Amino acid sequence: MRIIGVYNIKGGVGKTATAVNLAYLAARSGLRTLVWDLDPQGAASFYFRIKPKVKGGSRKMLRGKKELDDLIKGTDYDGLDLLPADFSYRNMDLVLDESKKPAMRLLKLLRPLSYEYDLVFLDCPPSISLVSENIFQAASALLVPTIPTTLSLRTYLQLLEFVNNNRLDHLKLMPFFSMVDRRKKMHLEIIQQLPKRHPEMLASHIPYASDVERMGTYRKPLLDYAPRGWAAQAYEQLWSEVCGSVVCQ
Amino acid sequence: MQHDISYNILDESALEQLIERIPKRYDLAEKPACEVTRIFLDSFDWRLYSGGVRLWVEQKHGATALWQTGVPNTASSVRVDKSKPVPVTADDLPSGALRDKISQLLEMRVLLPQIEVKSSVRTFAVLDDEKKTVLRLSLEESQSRTPGEGRYVACGSRLRLQPIRGYPEPLANINKIIRKQSDLSPVTDGLFEQAITAVGGELCPYSSKISFTFEPTMPSVVAVRDIHLHLLNIIELNVPGVKKNLDSEFLHDLRVAVRRMRSALTQVKGVFSKADVDRFKARLAWVGQVTGPTRDMDVFLLEFEQYRACLPERFRSDLDPLYDFLVSHQQIEHGVMVKKINSPHFRTLVKELRLFLENATEQSGALEAGTPIAELANKRIYKMYHRVMKRGQAIVDDSPAEHLHDLRKECKKLRYLMEFFRSIYPQKKIGRLINSLKRLLDNLGNFQDLEVQADKLRDYARQMVEEGETPHDTLLAMGMLVDGLLTKQQQTRSEFAERFAKFAKSDNQKVFRSLFEPNNKKGKG
Repeated sequence: MRIIGVYNIKGGVGKTATAVNLAYLAARSGLRTLVWDLDPQGAASFYFRIKPKVKGGSRKMLRGKKELDDLIKGTDYDGLDLLPADFSYRNMDLVLDESKKPAMRLLKLLRPLSYEYDLVFLDCPPSISLVSENIFQAASALLVPTIPTTLSLRTYLQLLEFVNNNRLDHLKLMPFFSMVDRRKKMHLEIIQQLPKRHPEMLASHIPYASDVERMGTYRKPLLDYAPRGWAAQAYEQLWSEVCGSVVCQ
Repeated sequence: MQHDISYNILDESALEQLIERIPKRYDLAEKPACEVTRIFLDSFDWRLYSGGVRLWVEQKHGATALWQTGVPNTASSVRVDKSKPVPVTADDLPSGALRDKISQLLEMRVLLPQIEVKSSVRTFAVLDDEKKTVLRLSLEESQSRTPGEGRYVACGSRLRLQPIRGYPEPLANINKIIRKQSDLSPVTDGLFEQAITAVGGELCPYSSKISFTFEPTMPSVVAVRDIHLHLLNIIELNVPGVKKNLDSEFLHDLRVAVRRMRSALTQVKGVFSKADVDRFKARLAWVGQVTGPTRDMDVFLLEFEQYRACLPERFRSDLDPLYDFLVSHQQIEHGVMVKKINSPHFRTLVKELRLFLENATEQSGALEAGTPIAELANKRIYKMYHRVMKRGQAIVDDSPAEHLHDLRKECKKLRYLMEFFRSIYPQKKIGRLINSLKRLLDNLGNFQDLEVQADKLRDYARQMVEEGETPHDTLLAMGMLVDGLLTKQQQTRSEFAERFAKFAKSDNQKVFRSLFEPNNKKGKG
């Protein structure tokens, strides 16, 4: 079982859209896939029309009193399941802090699922906290959607520094450009310049497209309702890059 | 985890009735109707089915996917490459638990399409208040046929309830409503079984195993004729697969059946006239001979990975030219063999054998034709057992290899006789003796096979040199293999005395006497 975190310190960069669409593509290729919606806002759960509710809340779940297995919901797509969000996730940091080895808790909870799933996407809340530290420990790769703006770059550098200072050698950072607006000069310049300094940048770009925004209206993965659009093709490309370097190794 | 629940359904009116009774808190969304084609795959001898696994290729909306049930911890469906939509060997499957399980069940066998099912499917999604699918209801009207052949035959309609993980309530609620509806009965067979039955097929129609049920008082000619007919069927059933070179097991089964038949023909004496036995004996031996060279190549190819693994890592690639030689010569030998199988000699043999067997009766005049089979079986088995014991006891540490080879032949004859007539004797007792004999035969078999393989490898090396430039490293690596085989053969030889002693122990002797000694009434069931 491979675990991929989709993360950025900054919010509103397309994390959930990435997790949902890549998970859809992974399941379509035959991988048993789980999305864990860790964001208390529950956007991934919303896209899959699943109520953002976990019986017993995060406290019971994190203490291991409620097995993750019992909380999983099937989506409308074969081979693709979701562990829904819950509003109590907003206090997850506090509950994690109460447990032994707080940074390893999520990994411990996920381990029993390794016989059921080939791939897990963690849709992470923004900011650096104990929750994100857990994600860094559990995941073998971190997809970092990055808007080609100076502010976004700053947050990526912060993340890079954190990873380097915390001996997270197992974690493969996979930043990629998200919400790219080719009409903006700054976007184009950064797209040209940044990969030279950061060769870990993936080649695929996700465009800023109304198709992606409509996920909230359709409440479906983009690939389901607009499979031939630019944005869908971009996600297909991104998936083949991720699959080649993380999943199908 | 919840599983699909299926009901037999006569027509769509039952579905309409059900839809009316679904509680108003659920919405129903009908999906576009579609046609699904499923091709179920298994080996010729149904290894997947026997192992509890079903594997099929499903075409729906122009997309092809491979589906499975029965392999835990793996996806139920995998999208497949359009360029190779139907897998032939386990290697064509994506890596993981599915491939491991299928490979373990199939071994050297290939997958063949067993039945084709075409279904018209109407699907309804049962939705909750978020418009999320919480259950799927589908009506499938199916027809089946032998893959690619003839017309489809109706194989029933079924209503399927496909649960969604984490939503047990809708399934329970709607299933409760269905159970009250009298015109819907739960499906007991899977779609695969229904499809096979609809075309008049049989589940697990082929097995190379020997299993007869004989009454002890049955006239010998009837029992022996049944044995021969069964073996002849196996030969004929395997001929198409042998000709097409589908996998090595077709030829293996054919050769084993020929060997068993030769043994039955010559060992169960007096049931057929000597003239008839002579008429077929030599011709069956000819089949053994003409199929031998291809089988030799098959054995090397089947065990090639093991041979490679015997060598230290850095020498393994030196064997690649040997692999190429085996592949090309297997094809050449196969071509030569197919010519013989297509020859009038082979076809007449099979035709004459069938005609002879179908007409063999007690009136044929042979001495033992009317003898009760138990009496004849006792006599033949006990005699052969004595011969085995005598030969085995005469073997000492420095006896020549030929003595062991001769003992192996006698042991095989004894094994075949005991397997043919197994049903006449108490199952536990004869089962134990057969197992004990098999263990001895394993030792003798390994001893001879290792020697034959070493000799063959030397022959191949000479042939490779004659045919062109063979790298010295390849010949050296083959030499290492020969050395390994002969060392192993010596080890096998050193284990013989202990194996034979186990077979010949007094407990076994007592059971042999009590079961087979003519006129001994003790211990017979």
